[in-house]
Amino acid sequence: MELFVQLLANTLQIGAVYVLFALGLTLIFGVMKIVNFAHGAFFTAAALIVTSVVPFATVEMGMPLWAGYLLSAVAALVVVLCLGALVYKVGFQHVLKDLNGSFILSIGLLLILNGVYLAIYGGAPRAVPQVVPGTVNILGATLTAQRLALVIVAAIVTGGLYLLIERTKLGLALRAVALDQEAAMLQGMPYRRVALYGFLIGAALAACAGVLMAPINAVTPVSGDEFLIKAFIIIIIGGLGSVTGAIVGGLFIAMIESIGGYFFDPSTATLAMFILVIGFLLVRPQGILGNVE
Amino acid sequence: MWNRSPGLWICVALAVGAVIFALLATNPYNTSLVVWILTNAVLASALRFVLQIGELNIATAAFFGIGAYATSITAVFLGWPFWLTLLLAPIVAGAFSALFGWVTLRTKGPYFLLISFAVTEVIRLIYTQTNAIGGNSGLIGMFPPMAIDAYYPALAVALLAATLFVLYGVERSDLGRLFKAIENNDAIPRSVGLNVIYLKVLCVVIASAAVGLAGGVHAYANNVIAPSDFTYFVAILALAYVKIGGEGHPFGPVLGATVLTLVGQWVAGISAWENIFYGAVIVVTLLVFPGGLVGLAARARGLVTRGAR
Repeated sequence: MELFVQLLANTLQIGAVYVLFALGLTLIFGVMKIVNFAHGAFFTAAALIVTSVVPFATVEMGMPLWAGYLLSAVAALVVVLCLGALVYKVGFQHVLKDLNGSFILSIGLLLILNGVYLAIYGGAPRAVPQVVPGTVNILGATLTAQRLALVIVAAIVTGGLYLLIERTKLGLALRAVALDQEAAMLQGMPYRRVALYGFLIGAALAACAGVLMAPINAVTPVSGDEFLIKAFIIIIIGGLGSVTGAIVGGLFIAMIESIGGYFFDPSTATLAMFILVIGFLLVRPQGILGNVE
Repeated sequence: MWNRSPGLWICVALAVGAVIFALLATNPYNTSLVVWILTNAVLASALRFVLQIGELNIATAAFFGIGAYATSITAVFLGWPFWLTLLLAPIVAGAFSALFGWVTLRTKGPYFLLISFAVTEVIRLIYTQTNAIGGNSGLIGMFPPMAIDAYYPALAVALLAATLFVLYGVERSDLGRLFKAIENNDAIPRSVGLNVIYLKVLCVVIASAAVGLAGGVHAYANNVIAPSDFTYFVAILALAYVKIGGEGHPFGPVLGATVLTLVGQWVAGISAWENIFYGAVIVVTLLVFPGGLVGLAARARGLVTRGAR
């Protein structure tokens, strides 16, 4: 029982970040029909900003750690939203629905952004002190309070996104555009503006993941790219463009990783995950919740 | 097809020139640069070859690696003869790609792209986890036999150039037209009774055998291979060559590979700026000159002929 709870806790803390990351990717794909290879760059930008704002706020401005962290979170969100809007205006709006063109563009952007991060911050890992210290004991399983906070915040953000998509007018527009862009435009929906909002929401989700991960793992200019492959596998399993699919897929991959990592080793878990995906594709090429094209 | 295209004769002349250069040049840096340019040209052309059926195959990088490992393993551990190990590279890469294609080509577009990406990374992971083939540090000691050693760069250039001509020949054949038809609308070839999946797999196998051979040649040219040589980034650079050169014409990837490899020698080693440079080249080309260098040349020629009229 203890083991079961511990594995469940591990699954949730790995899965929380995966879900946020994959949700952004899948949302952008759904609305714009592009695969954004530069998605990890939003994550990295947010995490790097946290690592530079937190020391500045706490040391130079004398703020308490939690306030400095909140300030850095706001700064990271604002910067990433501006970055997202810039990238969309300069690049992506010219290659909407062009799969290969947008993929190549996103690779170019990824190279530029990684180069810029490297030039500004250098390659050394940067760390932030734990904001929520201590450990928590739940039914015999231990996890750090920091990671528990991550899971809770990620769950709130995911829930918020779900409500946004299901209950608001913007969500309705996003779903309509994802389902059939031309039909949505015929009904008078401003496709370009909806696509921009979808892209920005996706970028903000990656920024949330980056802000939440910064106090847990040391940050490097390529931190975000490590999640990219996993996130790709997640959205393949969940179905490209499916919000529920990204949540289910993210938790599923996290479960394989935590169970496989416990009983075997992490690389075996990764291989197992991959073989599973191949087997899965043979049976259901469009993912758990994807639509047949 | 030979009479109608003087461009093809120019390409043959260029290829012969490259072979002679590799034969005569005394500076080993220059000869290895020519081999590297041709290797990149094959990678880019193979990537473009699969783009004919409308799919972006990141696993091009994986089959390059499989070819290199097939040659290296048989050469270093089994001591098989040189020619046999080189012949094995395209065969093994082709066989793996047939299996890969049979499973993954049921999907298309974004799904295929993402899966080919994942396959590339997992195959690299398998190399690093297998200590029998050198794990993270890879394999060392692939040398051409003494008799050939001095001529090896010329041989490599000749083999790679021949591969490029074969890819071009297939593209211009009836088979190439079928591939194009699949890209335009795969329901129509299917409706006239063609086995579309079989044709798609065939397209991937031809391209993968080409990069497999390039991998084998690369193993002997470099003497050392490591898993880090075969990341998805290889395919991304190949994609950059295709885009810069222009994907509308078979010569585009060759031109792109030549230009970017030469420029890359110049910016290499300025780490952060190297990334920014490649990224900026890709973004600007895509947004400003979508046809690449070949597209620019065609537009310039259009202006000239219009002016002459």
